[in-house]
Amino acid sequence: MVLEATMICIDNSEWMRNGDYAPSRFQAQADAVNLICGAKTQSNPENTVGVLTMAGKGVRVLVTPTSDLGKILACMHGLEIGGEMNLAAGIQVAQLALKHRQNKKQQQRIIVFAGSPVTHEKKALEMIGKKLKKNSVALDIVNFGDDDEGKTEKLEALLAAVNNNDTSHIVHVPAGPNALSDVLISTPIFTGDGEGGSGFAASAATAAAGGVSGFEFGVDPNLDPELALALRVSMEEERARQEAAAKKAAEEASKQEKSAEEQDATMTERGNEGASEADNKKNEISDDDDTSLQQALAMSMDEPASSQDLQDIEMSDAAAEDPELALALQLSVQDSTKDSSSQADMNKLLADQSFVSSILASLPGVDPNDPSVKEVLASMQNQSESQQKPDEDKVPKKEEEK
Amino acid sequence: MSAAESATAIQKNQVDLLDFIDWSGVECLNQSSTHSLSNALKQGYREDEGLNLESDADEQLLIYIPFTQVIKLHSIVVMGSEEEGPKTVKLFANREHMGFSNVNDFPPSDTAVLSPDNIKGKPVVLKYVKFQNVRSLTIFIEDNQSSSEITKVQKIALYGSTVETTDMKGLKKIEDH
Repeated sequence: MVLEATMICIDNSEWMRNGDYAPSRFQAQADAVNLICGAKTQSNPENTVGVLTMAGKGVRVLVTPTSDLGKILACMHGLEIGGEMNLAAGIQVAQLALKHRQNKKQQQRIIVFAGSPVTHEKKALEMIGKKLKKNSVALDIVNFGDDDEGKTEKLEALLAAVNNNDTSHIVHVPAGPNALSDVLISTPIFTGDGEGGSGFAASAATAAAGGVSGFEFGVDPNLDPELALALRVSMEEERARQEAAAKKAAEEASKQEKSAEEQDATMTERGNEGASEADNKKNEISDDDDTSLQQALAMSMDEPASSQDLQDIEMSDAAAEDPELALALQLSVQDSTKDSSSQADMNKLLADQSFVSSILASLPGVDPNDPSVKEVLASMQNQSESQQKPDEDKVPKKEEEK
Repeated sequence: MSAAESATAIQKNQVDLLDFIDWSGVECLNQSSTHSLSNALKQGYREDEGLNLESDADEQLLIYIPFTQVIKLHSIVVMGSEEEGPKTVKLFANREHMGFSNVNDFPPSDTAVLSPDNIKGKPVVLKYVKFQNVRSLTIFIEDNQSSSEITKVQKIALYGSTVETTDMKGLKKIEDH
């Protein structure tokens, strides 16, 4: 959302006829330019973008910085290819155009597409870079085409001279099956220095990233974009819901922490057997990693007691550090979901003694042979049974405990 | 003599204009990101000798300071080290958004060549008549004391008076009729 005025320097030299970037270098470049203009104007409505060509008869400004996307796209039509690119002059004219921008509050940025050999000396480029830095102009370089006459070196030197606090970037795009635009989408040139960029750029980025780097949800977004989108959206929704649930649980935990001590083991059991299998898996993964992965697993594991699970996931994170705190948290979770139907399920499971002791064994910091734990276990069993089946199971359970 | 004059002038009716600086519009070109303008301008920071404003790509600095009120500028204090402190300082009143390229297109409102005394804290009295109606001030530091690569400024203080307060007093007198 940075307020920015951008000048895009297009290379329309003879080298752009080459077909190593599909369909031709020039076309790939034009697509990339269109995308960048869109992203810039979307991320902040007051952003302006201008375009100039560096080759042909000479450096020519096609459109001065404007926020009118239509005007920018229109000027890209009917461009002719020819001549040699004059990088230094192009950058200097871009700097001049930015200097005369209407809104002086905008940050200045130049984006250069360098698709043909650079004939200038490294020193000259460094001088230009220094001048840009002095006037606080940021520079993004898109290096594509062949690397001859030390082009990459020269461009890197230029970037080093300009770069102030990582506001300037260089991207090297090798020829290949990937379109120039796709490669650019995931770079900071698009995403704007790690702010996250606009929704436009972000959604395009995930689509491209899914296609290029191996399929976030196991579905190729190129083959089935709707499914990929649906998966991503549901993931985000679930995440948001879990965060809300976690916040609620955290609030309750802070209220009830003190009174939880005696019934710790009880509550631990209740919490755990409700999400027992999921919990074990999570512990295997290790609580400190990747909360989102755990949440996804929880969801896939145990749908009915889902909200229960989510709260337990947050609990299991804490459990690694402080077992008592975890128990207290689970107590509060239990209290909050007392009315849920899953309570009945839990009680049934509780009735199974062997199941319960196996759970207890897997808990960190709880020793099933600890007498206090056994005591609590007994009282807990009595409680749960009285809720469900008043007298029948009480006696046999009591006998087992003894 | 002139030192005594300027000192008393400062004591009499000139105030430190720090309070009238419009911080949202303050800009500095070619400053180093770690050593920024606040180190030289802001209360507390500017007294600290360890905190300096430093230039980045070369030795020049261009500082733009807008004010919240119209002021009259009487004198300035520019402090720095003996080698890397500023030498030639050009001041432009009411010129917005200057760049290094057009800084030599206009004649400055005043130019100060800082002597070693000045760099230690002695105020430089300016051509008062040129600074009667100042909305913004641009300070162009052209070079430093020893022509080194980097210019370091420890403190910049502006002394003067506001215009509006004077006007208010004038209004009151009329109302007395």
